[in-house]
Amino acid sequence: MPTVDIDPDELRELTGREEKGDEELKEDLFGLGLEFEGRTEEGAFELEFAPDRLDRLSVEGVARSMRYHYGDSRGVYVPSTNAAEWTIVVDDSVPDERPYVTGAVVRNVDLDEEGLESLIQLQEKLHATMGRKRAKGAIGIHDLTMMKGNPATEGSPTIEYVGVEPDGDRFVPLDSDQELTPAEVLEEHQTGQTYADLVSDYERYPAIYDELGLFSFPPVINGRRTEVSTDSRDLFVEMTGTDQWTIDKMLNIVCYALAARGATLESVTVEYPDGDSGGRELVRPDLSTKTKTVAHGRIETILGIDLGSEEVIDLAERSGLEAETEENENGDLVYDVTIPPYRVDVLHPLDVIDDLGRAYGFNDLEPKYPDVGTVGGRHERSRLEDAVRTQLVGLGFEDLLNFHMISEAENFDRLEIAPDDDVYGAGDPPTIKGPYSEDYTMLRTWVTPSLLMVLERNTHRAYPQDLAEIGFTAAVDDSENTGVAERRRVGAVLASHEAGYEDAKARLQALARRFDVDLETPPTDHPTYIPGRTASVVIDGEEVGVIGEVHPKVLVEHDLEVPVAGFEFDLEALR
Amino acid sequence: MQLKESQVAVLETASADEATSVDAVAEATDLPPETVTGAVFELEEEGLVAIEERVDETISLTDEGVTYADERLPEIRLYEAAVDAGAADEPAQMGQVIGASGLEGAGVDIALSNYARKGYGSIDSGEITADPDADSASDAEANALETLADAEETAADAVDVEGDVLDGLERRGLLERSESTVREVTLTERAVTELMAGIETAETVGQVTPELLTSGEWDEVEFAEYNVEADAERFEGGRVHILRQTAERVKETLVGMGFQEMEGPHVDADFWINDCLFMPQDHPARTHWDRFALEAPTHIDDLPDQLVADVERAHREGVGEDGEGYHSPWDEEFARALALRGHTTSLSTRYLSGEQIGEIEPPARFFSVEKVYRNDTLDPTHLLEFFQIEGWVMAEDLSVRDLMGTFEEFYAQFGITDIEFKPHYNPYTEPSFELFGTHPTTGELVEIGNSGIFREEMLAPLGVDCDVMAWGLALERLLMLMYGFEDIRDIHGTLCDLKLLRETEVTY
Repeated sequence: MPTVDIDPDELRELTGREEKGDEELKEDLFGLGLEFEGRTEEGAFELEFAPDRLDRLSVEGVARSMRYHYGDSRGVYVPSTNAAEWTIVVDDSVPDERPYVTGAVVRNVDLDEEGLESLIQLQEKLHATMGRKRAKGAIGIHDLTMMKGNPATEGSPTIEYVGVEPDGDRFVPLDSDQELTPAEVLEEHQTGQTYADLVSDYERYPAIYDELGLFSFPPVINGRRTEVSTDSRDLFVEMTGTDQWTIDKMLNIVCYALAARGATLESVTVEYPDGDSGGRELVRPDLSTKTKTVAHGRIETILGIDLGSEEVIDLAERSGLEAETEENENGDLVYDVTIPPYRVDVLHPLDVIDDLGRAYGFNDLEPKYPDVGTVGGRHERSRLEDAVRTQLVGLGFEDLLNFHMISEAENFDRLEIAPDDDVYGAGDPPTIKGPYSEDYTMLRTWVTPSLLMVLERNTHRAYPQDLAEIGFTAAVDDSENTGVAERRRVGAVLASHEAGYEDAKARLQALARRFDVDLETPPTDHPTYIPGRTASVVIDGEEVGVIGEVHPKVLVEHDLEVPVAGFEFDLEALR
Repeated sequence: MQLKESQVAVLETASADEATSVDAVAEATDLPPETVTGAVFELEEEGLVAIEERVDETISLTDEGVTYADERLPEIRLYEAAVDAGAADEPAQMGQVIGASGLEGAGVDIALSNYARKGYGSIDSGEITADPDADSASDAEANALETLADAEETAADAVDVEGDVLDGLERRGLLERSESTVREVTLTERAVTELMAGIETAETVGQVTPELLTSGEWDEVEFAEYNVEADAERFEGGRVHILRQTAERVKETLVGMGFQEMEGPHVDADFWINDCLFMPQDHPARTHWDRFALEAPTHIDDLPDQLVADVERAHREGVGEDGEGYHSPWDEEFARALALRGHTTSLSTRYLSGEQIGEIEPPARFFSVEKVYRNDTLDPTHLLEFFQIEGWVMAEDLSVRDLMGTFEEFYAQFGITDIEFKPHYNPYTEPSFELFGTHPTTGELVEIGNSGIFREEMLAPLGVDCDVMAWGLALERLLMLMYGFEDIRDIHGTLCDLKLLRETEVTY
């Protein structure tokens, strides 16, 4: 789970609750669903957050939630925004893959070291979550005083979002002294290398220009010229991405965080070119609220309690929402609930009910067993599996439970078979894409390899080791909808100084008798077993498995010093 | 005739001509003396031997006697010191003589009380005289001690010492007499006759055999005694895997609570695993490295067209008048990609959609205890494959209280009564709760599951228009809480330790 670092002193300052001790703060944070994980080297709280409330990715957002939690704030707050001076003009050349941009001007910022760090952290956390590692949305924050707007036609400064040649204009990126082209940034600059994959397939690279030239190469890196420091007083925030809604919401979260530190917001106009979007003109940030209609009855059934409407309105206000009672067309009591612009997680009225539940305190609800009558029962396959397992245990086998994933070497090579051999156990295995461990690269095609691995790991344990597993196996099969035939197989091995074919056969016979099936064991060849001591398992006339004494070559390969006899067959055969 | 082995051994060792002691027979036959004694009495009852009993008296020196045999009697040491001090001629000072004799403590009193009695001289007013005619070398008691000191135990009639001397020494506590019964056996005429006719050994019986039972011989034979206290050879026998046992108990419990078991593919399309769960296609969990995508085969053949369209609409537009969709891309090809299921909620979506067993009418309860796959780092509490206890209840108007009540009831069946709920976020449930339990040995709070009420955006495309509350619980975590295991790798998979599996206590 992702974490966010919060300085407790800043939290106390921003909540206005200077008297709260660290322990008390931790408890209050837990109440919001922010779990204390530990402290950073600098003493900040590391808090684990669930990825719904992305408005809590910085101390400012957490403090806002805390004030609602304490009852110090109520209802919806929207900061005021001054009229737009700056315009972002989107050029036709902008890459089709990343057409959207948004922005805001933030003035009278007074950031100390902590404030700047918090802003950087918020930027990083938003990139990691909503921004999908900058693929969906990337943030650039600039020192406005270092920017020079193009002389605008209507007297307002403009900057341009354009698509550029990878090897076109040069600029000095952050953390560098060199003038580099965008393509050189991707090759030579550390941050460039990290995010190269996001744009390297583009014909033209995204770039933002002011009158002085290229100053931002989204989503990769900003230019050094407009770097933000604690001396910066006015900021320009721009975001580019693949979805307008996403970057607008990210912008709202950043604006709210800066406004909480006393900054003034100023709109920016975004002008899209004529074309698909039809020369749209947007004014951003979009701090308009949304409304969800929530039925009173639904709140009561979800929470399982009766509530008065005053109480619902109170819970809403304590959640940073506002609720007004209404009557819908059926005459039922509903609420028009106002959702503030920093919330990204409210898709449906149910999400409002969750907020109300949290404000009420889910843990204050009395659990009750649902008054719903149903009849229980087992699946037939699972009953069969159980019945066979009970018989195997009765026959003296220790029941095992192994992994379904295995490696080619374990499943095939070490048992002397190949996937395309025409023997029981072979088969085309479903394989894992880009496996992390070479021990788990495919699904096993049979169970016996797992049983031999267990024998191999337990040579220091007492014999006899009579092991059995009713196990999942899989093979590629075009006739299945998923392309995979999934089968349960009954595998068994007998390992002891006296183990032999007859011991295995005796047990197999017992199983066959108990399930009233006809068993035959005609001789066969199978590389895993000793020639002349290997047979097919034929049940009710169908070849469904193999039985034999394991070949010494396989035994030695598994470091075994005792003979092993065993069998494996399809569970379905006993049906 | 037929006799027991021990009886035959006695008959073959004893003779008709001379009496043989039990000890001698025991030594010759290598049987314990008590076994021979038992056999001898049994044989006497059969009239095959005659027993002569006598009581043997043996003499042995006490520790004090042994000391004096070594250091000589105190009165003799006093006499010799007195002679050396010239007390044969005129009385000598007691103190000096005792000092010279080297006697100390009780030895002084013993010397003084026997000195005059045995005629070595007299003691008077602190002075001692020695009889010049007394002969300490021929002291009968001293000589007797010397004789007896050679053997630890001597038969009384074999000692060449006067009876009254022995009595005297016994009184002084220097020797002990003890009595023991000695039995000697002689074969009777009948035994001789029988021996000549031949006696078979009725072996002691180790195994009760069918012959023994049918012939009635069991009544005649003797059953060999076993060392019933010794440890027997180790036996393991069959046993259901401990995790499987727990799974079975869970299934039994849920069936008892009215749940029907689900079943379905391990390799499944992302559509069933994620899209039907209203997981946006660009959700980190779907591109995250913890997913096991398949290299081969890659895509499912068929998905139900209508359902695909409905799911896509829910993702794009949301559900209901006030609903909003995700601002994320949605692509059917992406949904058709195959993976090892990361949760068994894929079974729930298949069942809820009506694709698996047809439409399900509320109220209904379904469950599965099946494997799921996560490409996580293998550590003591995380496996790449583990069991998920999937469950859901479909009914009108379910509440979070019903959800909590169901868990309390379920975990109480396993003796776990301190479940904690933490409000949580899942893309497919709202409200959502994580469940925690306390580890019995480490005392740590362990996450044991995730739960919630399915969102309408998930249920509406599946065609469900009532409430469904659902959960995924970790079976291995339940096992840890029940048994106190700390490393789950010992239990599950090919790294398992047979010893642990064999020795884990049975619970019920």
